[in-house]
Amino acid sequence: MAIRPGSIGVALPAPARPARWPSARVRESLGGVGLLTPTLLILLGLVLYPFFYAIWLAFTDKAVGSAGQFVGLKNFAYVIAWPQFSAAIWNTVVFTTCAIAIKLVLGMAVAIVLNQRIRGRNFFRAFLLLPWVMPAFVVYLVWRWLYDPLSGLINYALIDLGIIATPIAFLSDRGSAMGSVIAAHAWRNFPFYAISFLAGMQTISQELYDSAEVDGASRVQQFRYITLPGLYQIIGVVLLLTTIQTANAFEPVYLLTGGGPSDATMVYTMLVYVMGMVNLRLGEAAAVSTLFLPLLVGLVLVVTILLQRKARD
Amino acid sequence: MREPLSIRVTTYVLLGIFVFLVAVPLFWMVATALKTNKDLYEDFSYWPRRPTLEHFVRVIEREDLLTNIRNSLAVASTTTAVTVVVSALAAFSIVRYRYRGREWVGRLILFKYLLPTAMLFVPLYAIVVALGLGNTLKSLMLTYLSFTVPFCTWMLMGYFRSIPPELEEHAMVDGCTKIGALVRILIPLSAPGIVASAIFSFTLSWNEFLLALVFTSDHSTMTVPIKLSMMVVGDQYIWGQLMAGAVLASVPITILYFLAQRFVVQGLAAGAVKG
Repeated sequence: MAIRPGSIGVALPAPARPARWPSARVRESLGGVGLLTPTLLILLGLVLYPFFYAIWLAFTDKAVGSAGQFVGLKNFAYVIAWPQFSAAIWNTVVFTTCAIAIKLVLGMAVAIVLNQRIRGRNFFRAFLLLPWVMPAFVVYLVWRWLYDPLSGLINYALIDLGIIATPIAFLSDRGSAMGSVIAAHAWRNFPFYAISFLAGMQTISQELYDSAEVDGASRVQQFRYITLPGLYQIIGVVLLLTTIQTANAFEPVYLLTGGGPSDATMVYTMLVYVMGMVNLRLGEAAAVSTLFLPLLVGLVLVVTILLQRKARD
Repeated sequence: MREPLSIRVTTYVLLGIFVFLVAVPLFWMVATALKTNKDLYEDFSYWPRRPTLEHFVRVIEREDLLTNIRNSLAVASTTTAVTVVVSALAAFSIVRYRYRGREWVGRLILFKYLLPTAMLFVPLYAIVVALGLGNTLKSLMLTYLSFTVPFCTWMLMGYFRSIPPELEEHAMVDGCTKIGALVRILIPLSAPGIVASAIFSFTLSWNEFLLALVFTSDHSTMTVPIKLSMMVVGDQYIWGQLMAGAVLASVPITILYFLAQRFVVQGLAAGAVKG
């Protein structure tokens, strides 16, 4: 509020001090809540309300363009009997565990290498971060092209090197589709593991390694008894954050295989998409995602418990 | 102390393998975009023999990618502008005001982080349709706030906490209002954190796939990710144009990320200190 020069001299009636309302505490609360309101509305309207709405939808026969009627457990019964559903459970578990295992090993290996005294370390660190900085959809489009059976690079190079005689249909063969999707996902996401582990390694005191060296500990022993224990906490945080993310991966499957061939890569997010957006059955789609909620919570609990046990050892 | 030779050799060999694994897909994206269709489908070569920008021209002219780039820019910048203002106010409120129940906001943000998007897109779609926003850019500008705002609020909370409140208190003794202290002291001091959170919000919105796929259904409202993914289904011999589009979609965002990396690293570190 701009104060005009002319208005400065005007004497305002002094407010009676004790009767001042609202009190400082109330005004502090009002001010705080006022500033928070937009964010609160977003969190309530776009996160909490949709969450409960999803659970409600699972109990209705809502389809696109029709108001839903309460149908009790019908959707759940239907979905559980659906053969794609058990395929989705299995595929989601396989995808999540394999992808995390690969990212963990690859991320650790990259972190160890980047933690050595190498020339141009900052350049290599930035370069190896590229897959994670690129938009995910770009990465999966590129991999779809790499896997192409007719003109893709991988097939061409393998034939060129004499390793295979005929092209492999990476994405349309039941045997290789899941592995190919996992590989592309791991390529895109390992850098997050690597930079997190590298950051953790750089907080471990060099003195520990120096005295281990004096005591004649080998490199492997140093890693086993100094580096790894020093990283438990950060491994825990990374696993906690990425387990749910990995289990909810949608783009690699949608962009590489669309869930095929014959459901070999049908993970649950893809199934929710197919049921809701292709079959336009929102109630059943919501039932699938609601049924997976306990599984995801279970996964996170397993990870947390394993880590706590490891941390106590 | 110098490393033994065997360790140094192993290190560089492994580094070489990792660099190769990361470089090949990136190289292939750029090489494909620059090749002629003849080099792509008839007369295979690893390098583009006759580099051409033909595919870039075609993806922009024939596929009208400019419309989609404009859509993506509109959504990402609107979302970011709203996000930065709203999250800065919320973070300021949580960090500098005392009132009951504010710790619940932090819990709600964590809940959002652990909540699967697969669970949210069905109800969000029903909400978007009910609001009459089906197949509009507005539906994306609105729903993207559901992940940009919690993320940026969280990050700015960490940043604001790292700045001692005494500076603002002095300003307030000198007659500044609390909001005045936010605008004149806290925001200038936390500029790196605000830039970082804006960049994150922009990148998250630019790359978002699932909601855009569900909410938009024709070329005039599609963002870049959806347009490019639709091209895969559309045409068999489209890879040159598709990779040209991929280069256009990823190079600016990658450059932006590295230019701002200093801010980003600072921002993350500040956010990590105290949640």
